[in-house]
Amino acid sequence: MKIIKAIAYKEIIHILRDRRTLMLIILMPMMQLMIYGYGINTDVKHLSTYVYDQDRTYLSRRLINAFTQSQYFTVTLQANSLQEMYKALDKGSAKAALIIPPNFTGDLLKKKGAQMQMIIDGTDSTPATVALNSSQAIVNAFMQSEKLIPVQVLPIDFRPRLWYNPDLKSTYFMLPGLIGLVLQFLVPMITASAIVREKERGNIEQLLVTPIKPYELILGKILPYIAIGVLIAGSIITVMHLLFVVPIHGSVLTLFFMTLIFLVVCLGIGLWASTVADNQQQASQIVMFFAMPSILLSGFIFPREAMPLWVHHIGYLIPMTYFLKMVRGIILKGLGFMDLIDQVWPLLLMAALVILFSIKRFSKRMT
Amino acid sequence: MPDIAISADKLTRRFGKFTAVDEISFEIPYGAIFGFLGANGAGKSTTIRMLCGILAPTSGNGKVGGFDVQTQPEQIKGVIGYVSQRFSLYSDLNVIENLNFYGRIYGLEGNTLSGRIKEALDLTGLAPFQKRLAGDLSGGMKQKLAVANAILHHPKIIFLDEPTAGLDPLSRRSIWELLYQLAEGGTSLFVTTHYMEEAERCNTIAFISQGKILKIGAPVDLKAGLQGQILEVTCRPLMKASHLFSTLEGVAGVTVYGTTLNLNVTDPPSVEARVRAAAGKEGVQVTSIRSIPASLEDVFSDLDTKNQGGFSSQQLESKKQ
Repeated sequence: MKIIKAIAYKEIIHILRDRRTLMLIILMPMMQLMIYGYGINTDVKHLSTYVYDQDRTYLSRRLINAFTQSQYFTVTLQANSLQEMYKALDKGSAKAALIIPPNFTGDLLKKKGAQMQMIIDGTDSTPATVALNSSQAIVNAFMQSEKLIPVQVLPIDFRPRLWYNPDLKSTYFMLPGLIGLVLQFLVPMITASAIVREKERGNIEQLLVTPIKPYELILGKILPYIAIGVLIAGSIITVMHLLFVVPIHGSVLTLFFMTLIFLVVCLGIGLWASTVADNQQQASQIVMFFAMPSILLSGFIFPREAMPLWVHHIGYLIPMTYFLKMVRGIILKGLGFMDLIDQVWPLLLMAALVILFSIKRFSKRMT
Repeated sequence: MPDIAISADKLTRRFGKFTAVDEISFEIPYGAIFGFLGANGAGKSTTIRMLCGILAPTSGNGKVGGFDVQTQPEQIKGVIGYVSQRFSLYSDLNVIENLNFYGRIYGLEGNTLSGRIKEALDLTGLAPFQKRLAGDLSGGMKQKLAVANAILHHPKIIFLDEPTAGLDPLSRRSIWELLYQLAEGGTSLFVTTHYMEEAERCNTIAFISQGKILKIGAPVDLKAGLQGQILEVTCRPLMKASHLFSTLEGVAGVTVYGTTLNLNVTDPPSVEARVRAAAGKEGVQVTSIRSIPASLEDVFSDLDTKNQGGFSSQQLESKKQ
């Protein structure tokens, strides 16, 4: 125990003296928070829209107004020709174009079936889908409010509601997941570097002839990084809650416990990488190699439900898949420990496997 | 406590088909400095690794500090000190932090630890530099720190793997003074080195080549074995003469020393005549020929000839800095 303490203490001095790692530990989580909190916003709002209103009546202006008020579209220009609109769409300065023909109001009043058209830039499928659906809804609402269609009593009173994230804020979805992303990147990287460094600089040669046991060395080196991981997770949660006002519905204690399990998995990956790599550069490359699929296949950004079945299954092998369900479940849905049991046991199993495997490998390399 | 600190009895280590250390045997008493000499790859490091308890021998026995290298490697680690060839302490930790860390690893703490650290700092003269980062120390001071580090837990046996490699003569001398002090205190030192004059300082030296110990004994005895067999020839041109003389009958080896050649010969008077005759014929100008006492370098050169191909004095030569 004293030996483990001595190693951990020495490791803390290393960390505090290593400016580069220290900056990485502090800056990376905050940078990611800013990027995902402010920058990567998948909420589709204020889509730049060109309007070619050939009708220019009270009704056509009301219709345009309905589009603007929805917040999904912002009229950036009143175009004067179709040519002008097509050009803007080609160039990308307009993401949507609304065309109202000259006889729009006339046809409406004659109940002849008026026509109008919306063109949406479908290059990026996500905003395009949102724009398509909302344009439909806007026009329907407009027809009702202008009493252009009779108020009907529908045979099914269908009331869909959004739970957990009713405003569909992407920060609610992204930021809790960020805890997983940052830990998955940072923790294995710094752990692997710390262990490989001893090999690289020859320190291990001296340690080998001391009575240190492999498990003492591993524990002593890992403990400070568990603390760092907890600090990182804590700081992300704090900033997420205070700055980006993401509500935390579940228990912070449960969240802490789950984070701890995930941390052990991350440390294990780092430990394993350190037994494979000969220098710090290799170690970080190995960690990167594992982090990339974690980001793409775990459901951090892209929904796993949309993936082909075999890719979906690969996701089950990725620790972050489970952790994401845990953090999102606790923070957004207020789930408790027992609600997450299906995620807890696979992650615990992974933690045990990766730690046992890497300690075994590590001990072998030490002798 | 027995008088023997380190003993090896037919200690052998194989790596697959390759025999790195081949049935070596020796005994080192407490308080002795044992010099282990050999070219790179001769088996020095493998021997040290076996004796330090980090590599199990394939066969044979060894005892270090009364513990068996086969069955008690962990106990051995507790009673030995180790100074590695490459600086392997933490360069981003200062002198005190390094010593504190290793002291704790050996189970020292509190007043005992601070007492031992002070003692080690005083002995090595590092006290004024205790707040300096190990990485900022000079080469000599780094080695002193490594020694200070190795003596914290008062080991009775210390292994030093080329402790003076790459150091300036002054630092080398002060390291050796340190080693003498330790040996006087009853500690036995197992030192590998490439420097001849350092080998002379050891109580016993052993030459290892291709995993076998070729010769073992006190430097004086080893040199005495070559008594009257070394001829110093002053001549020009040196390299031509060197090649010429090495082909002569009765010449076992030729070593170049600055402006002279040392000939390792079997029958000095007859060789001297042959040398003069050959020199006259080939246009080599001989100024003087005299019989001199053998140096350790000559012992090397002698071993080289008797063990053709295995023990290369050229290789050792190139190691001299």
